[in-house]
Amino acid sequence: MSARNPADALAAIVGREHITGSPPGIAVDGVKPRWKVSPGSVEEVSRVMMLAATEHLVVAPRGSGSALGLGMPPLALDVAMDLCRLDGIVDYVPADMVATVQAGVRLDALGRELGKHGQMLALDPYGGPSRTIGGVLATGASGPRRFRYGTGRDLLLGARFVQADGIITWGGSKVVKSVTGYDIPKLLAGSLGTLGIIVEATLRLHPAPAALGSWLLGFGSREAAASFVAALLASTLEPERLTWLNGAALARTGHAGTEAGVAVSIGSVAQAVEAQGAELAAMAASAGGRASGLADNFWLGLDGVLAGPIVLKLASELGRLPFWAGQLEETCARRSLVPAVVGEAGNGVLRAALMESVPAADLATEIVVPLRERLVAEGGSLVVERAPVDVKRAVDVWGPIAEPALAVMKRLKTEFDPRGTLNPGRFVGGL
Amino acid sequence: MALSPAFLSELERIVGSSGVVSTAEGRMVYEADMHTFYKGAPDFVVLPETTREVAEVVRLCRREHVAVVPRGSGTGLIGGAMATVGGVMVSMTRMNNILDLDFPNRCATVQPGLINLWLSQATRAQGYYFAPDPSSQMVSSIGGNASTNAGGPHCLKYGITVNHVLGLEVVTGAGEILRVGGKAQDPPGYDLTGALVGAEGTLGLLTAITVRLLHVPAAVKTLLASFSAIEDASEAVSAIVAAGIVPAALEMIDETFVKAINEGVGAGYPKGAGAVLLIELDGPAAEIEAQAVRIVQICRDHAALEIRVARDEAERALLWKGRKEAAGAVGRMSATWILQDAVVPRSRLPEIMREVVAIGARHRLVIANVFHAGDGNLHPMILYDDRVPGELDRAHDANDELLRACLAMGGSVTGEHGVGLDKAWSMPLQFGDADLAFMARFRRAFDPDGIMNPGKLLPSHPACGEGFRPAASKLPAGTWV
Repeated sequence: MSARNPADALAAIVGREHITGSPPGIAVDGVKPRWKVSPGSVEEVSRVMMLAATEHLVVAPRGSGSALGLGMPPLALDVAMDLCRLDGIVDYVPADMVATVQAGVRLDALGRELGKHGQMLALDPYGGPSRTIGGVLATGASGPRRFRYGTGRDLLLGARFVQADGIITWGGSKVVKSVTGYDIPKLLAGSLGTLGIIVEATLRLHPAPAALGSWLLGFGSREAAASFVAALLASTLEPERLTWLNGAALARTGHAGTEAGVAVSIGSVAQAVEAQGAELAAMAASAGGRASGLADNFWLGLDGVLAGPIVLKLASELGRLPFWAGQLEETCARRSLVPAVVGEAGNGVLRAALMESVPAADLATEIVVPLRERLVAEGGSLVVERAPVDVKRAVDVWGPIAEPALAVMKRLKTEFDPRGTLNPGRFVGGL
Repeated sequence: MALSPAFLSELERIVGSSGVVSTAEGRMVYEADMHTFYKGAPDFVVLPETTREVAEVVRLCRREHVAVVPRGSGTGLIGGAMATVGGVMVSMTRMNNILDLDFPNRCATVQPGLINLWLSQATRAQGYYFAPDPSSQMVSSIGGNASTNAGGPHCLKYGITVNHVLGLEVVTGAGEILRVGGKAQDPPGYDLTGALVGAEGTLGLLTAITVRLLHVPAAVKTLLASFSAIEDASEAVSAIVAAGIVPAALEMIDETFVKAINEGVGAGYPKGAGAVLLIELDGPAAEIEAQAVRIVQICRDHAALEIRVARDEAERALLWKGRKEAAGAVGRMSATWILQDAVVPRSRLPEIMREVVAIGARHRLVIANVFHAGDGNLHPMILYDDRVPGELDRAHDANDELLRACLAMGGSVTGEHGVGLDKAWSMPLQFGDADLAFMARFRRAFDPDGIMNPGKLLPSHPACGEGFRPAASKLPAGTWV
């Protein structure tokens, strides 16, 4: 230990006004950091990490804080590193359809800037547009648009990041197509800040569609909705979003009384939106369903559907999503629970929000563990994305990672963060 | 280091004697990939048929500290599938089966030696195809495509190979059989699938690959626009992208190539054009009709001489045949050339094309261009005659200047061919020491003893010094040590 008080050393780096001691309200799963620091530059992030390395301080990076519930409780926490001051758009050439932005830039702020040029970043994670780019990428967050555009891993072309020892590092490229060296951005996307802190991201953009149409296809049964989804996936229609909603989720969006629904959006030129919309309606009708138009802001409202103390994320083969949506509902029904289910039907990823409180041990043994065992057996996964701490003490939120994949992940963590400076204990396998 | 007869017997025990190539003539077949500057025959070639055999070979090599070099069809352009320091080459050509076709889940699992085009042929009747389409797709393997993260004309809209790989089975340099990703998306943990694609065999050997299948689009429209000058064509490309249109493909063919392709392939490209753009739109009919109208207008605004629309599949195939066989057609002009694969931000395309012309003039060399203009991925072919003293050196200088010009514009060393041996030396032009050190440590987590494809991808290797410069074919085979 150096003679100097770490708080003074941190203040010397970020400025006295950007450090708070024992700050209220930013604990991670009940573990309170000793300080919150808000660096104003990449260099300051680097210097904080160098200090953390020499002083053996444990650091948890954060953006808007909306996804802090993801992961296991941290083993320790000294410094909450708030990246919201890194909010600059570093480089944006509309003709390249690429933007380089700092980690703390909010999705809505970036969207406004890109919108001026008819472009967009096709990331629409649950948690809403106030989320930061760094947080969205580090948590591997995604939303309905992933069906057409992919997730953060597909859109992240290059990343500047600060390693656990403070070394500023760059991976990837600033052009839309590059295979130069290892694809380090893929390693960082979804790594929950356990290998390095993303401070700057170069992102692939898309043209905002000239016209957008959204429809809700309502069905009297899960089976009917499932046959519609299968028909749509086997067709040549090209939706942007293809979202499964169960009755409880529909009720929360103001469409009570429908057993199962599929919300679809199509972005294209106006003629093509209209033509595909008509095909959708016909397809739904032949599966016994009914089409109704949706306002564009329907999609933002989906966040509210998943607002709840407990959120589970299930991933399966995409053709099995309706089946697992049903299994989830039935399993919950045994405890008289009614989950709201929202799923990316073209990706095999669904989320369920539970509104009622459930004893932690019961949630673990009666819902999470049995569903997970069966999902994992067919190659899927179940992640508890949000839950009270007592649930996390009762069950691993990530689920098992098979060997030798876990061994490789441990070697990576040991290679890049041997002391466990970054988010120790929060990621898979205790990493 | 000569490998012992005992080592050979162990290899034969694993893959059978018919699965080992050990004669000098047999090994010579494997001494280079399509980048024939770099020659280095392995001590042995093995042709495994199962993942278990692959794993046993790697474990044996690790125990004996012997280099392992993976090879697919050998169509790579970067000296990736040749043995820098001898060792064992693992050829995947016998592992070429489709293991699973799963249309409801829109994916397929294949062995690495499967030829790219075969997968699309096997799925087209059901209305599906595999999107990555490198020009070599009728001969290159999906394992090789995934190892190099191959591109192709249609990557503009659909992304490169990594965007289509859902899962992998890999034998790591540590000898583990690692299974990552799969039919279900978002597996918890680090995205090892994403990081393993494009690793060029330096982390391990791919033994099975689960890939996404796409639905054959509802409609396709292929246009060909000719221009008197390549600058006009480049400006048209930028304008199309800026208009918010993402064509399925947007290919540039310059005057030199138009001539060679017309003579060699008979594609019937407009004679005397200074540049041709091959533009393909696919998707819902109403969408591509509207986009085609817009593109025709943009081309006219940029002084297009002539715009053709393919009327049927036969015409479309002929337009593409010219593009896909361009590299072969260049043989009519020169037997020897250096191919560059650098990328520029797409807004800089007109600027870099002026630079290409200037560099060619400065070095008194013909530089022929056929490339993926829509994503800024250049493929200048620097033609030279190795019988003319000094011309190879000038070609190298021109290549070097071109690469540096691309990087100065914020570009990248390679857009789709990969790094391999050929571009390992240029990695420091794009990455700093810390970035390269990170990659070297990343490699170590999979290949702790550094046996996997040594000398490739990263600039230095203990056996090779600071990267390789092509000292050219003057050196006899087997001197890469």
